[in-house]
Amino acid sequence: MRYLLILTFFISALWSADATLEVTKNVGMLPKLAIEDASSVGNDSGTRFHKMLSADMNVVSLFDVDDRYATQSFDNPQAAGIHKDAVYILRYRLVPDGSGGYRTDVKLFQNSLELFSKIYYLKQREMLVFLAHSVAYDINAKMGGGPLEWMKRKVLFVRLSGPRRSDIVAADYTLSYQKVVLSGGMYGFVKWANREQTDFYYTSLSDFHPTIYKVNLATGNRSPVISSDGMAVCSDVSEDGNRLLLTLAPNGQPDIYLYDVRTKTKTRLTDYSGIDVSGQFMGEDRIAFVSNRMGSPNIFSKKISESAIKQVVFEGRNNSTCSTYRDWLVYKAREGRGAFNLHLISLNNSSIRRLTSSGDNDYPRFSHDGEAILHIKHEGSRSMVGIIRLGVNKSFSFPLHIGRMQSIDW
Amino acid sequence: MKRIAYLSAVLAALVFSGCSTKEPAIDATANAAGNGSNGGASSGQTSGTNGSAVINAITNASPADSSANGSAGSQIVSVYFDYDKYDIREDMMGTVKGNADLLKNKTFKLEGNCDEFGSDEYNFALGLKRANAVKTALVNEGVAADSISMVSLGEGNPTCTDKTQECWAKNRRVEVKLP
Repeated sequence: MRYLLILTFFISALWSADATLEVTKNVGMLPKLAIEDASSVGNDSGTRFHKMLSADMNVVSLFDVDDRYATQSFDNPQAAGIHKDAVYILRYRLVPDGSGGYRTDVKLFQNSLELFSKIYYLKQREMLVFLAHSVAYDINAKMGGGPLEWMKRKVLFVRLSGPRRSDIVAADYTLSYQKVVLSGGMYGFVKWANREQTDFYYTSLSDFHPTIYKVNLATGNRSPVISSDGMAVCSDVSEDGNRLLLTLAPNGQPDIYLYDVRTKTKTRLTDYSGIDVSGQFMGEDRIAFVSNRMGSPNIFSKKISESAIKQVVFEGRNNSTCSTYRDWLVYKAREGRGAFNLHLISLNNSSIRRLTSSGDNDYPRFSHDGEAILHIKHEGSRSMVGIIRLGVNKSFSFPLHIGRMQSIDW
Repeated sequence: MKRIAYLSAVLAALVFSGCSTKEPAIDATANAAGNGSNGGASSGQTSGTNGSAVINAITNASPADSSANGSAGSQIVSVYFDYDKYDIREDMMGTVKGNADLLKNKTFKLEGNCDEFGSDEYNFALGLKRANAVKTALVNEGVAADSISMVSLGEGNPTCTDKTQECWAKNRRVEVKLP
């Protein structure tokens, strides 16, 4: 009877947890990796970097990471005493460059044999976590792991700090680095304007009419793109950055428009009398979008040049947001009061995979390589950044300590 | 010495003659209705009779701008909605009608608001459709359509942040903002 109770508890715990737990049982099969500091910098940068790199190597998911801190001389092929059982040793040496940055030497040993060596130059110390991301990215590539380009990208989000008050913040995916790039107004719906992440779009709700602006991140220069009474949102940007899918509501009627950045012209794509929003490009000539044309919000698609509408998702109710990557679509479904979960659907065979199993999960965004999904997870009045790695079936979350996230992009 | 005495006498004469030509500081006759801009106790100046005087405060109003909506603003009431709905409830029709009487011949903005369930575009669109439903009802009551602009603020302007049904219901609303 006691064993039956324990088994029942174990099964119920598995059901209530996110997908992360499904793979933690495999950790014991992964080779052990330890990270060692060879820096002689007289501050806490060495230990901070150790924590950042340990967190990143966990996300890489190729190793059983031993996160105990230890120092060792840089070229010594032997591990520090507490890391004797590690198969892999990742060692780093931060060297101040005299102008606010670090030269960083990195080596990876496998059973005392040098496997990898590289020098990194970090210009600003406040960007230290991006150095960790770059090292983790390279180690993953060296070991033949799945694509991790998203790890090095900047994350943009709108942070609601109070009624009618918000900021636009640039960050890394773990939120260790955060820099406010716009504040003082009321903002929504940030979206990178190009793959290079040099510019971004956002909606200002402080203007007389909601207005979409384009901002250059380096200079802070901003220019208005388009305004609309009621609502103006940049929902998606084409791969080449030349076309936008907008939601505009010139007569109080939210519909989806295609906007040509070069000619500054717009074409209306939907004309339903209810709600059509959240257009997402699906290749060159098709879009997915959210509509309540069947009574409650659900996911539909259409060809840009045709008027015929096709329902994409037939499961769930209140499916109110989506993101696309090639033949895949991730959408949010309401499953009880305050419970919103993400689901992945293949557009080829309609198979559905549930990605989260609890909480309030919102605003999913595929990475450009389709390997990961970024999303917002709300917990009470707090928000977290969630990362779901589809290739390794793992999820991670990183808390935002101040404010609540409205929108996010990477 | 004679010169100083002479100057003092002249100065005194000037001072007293000046006082005699000024209006009295407390003037019982200033109460007379319609007596210029200084008249009446409500002007915040002085009033009284021969034996007494009252110095009124300039204003008793709070310096906080509790309503940027002007004189009619305090009587304009928010319109509330059910979860995931944008049709005006029966119990809100009287509110809309009352607002329409106060908003005729005014230019104003309708702000649609939502509860915290969903920060996505659909939730914003829900806020906008609520504003649009109120706009349509106001136009039906005789308010000029071109005097109304709209915006959806989604979940970004809550009046209540508790995690209760009552609180969420308070946030699902359309507010009127006068310039």
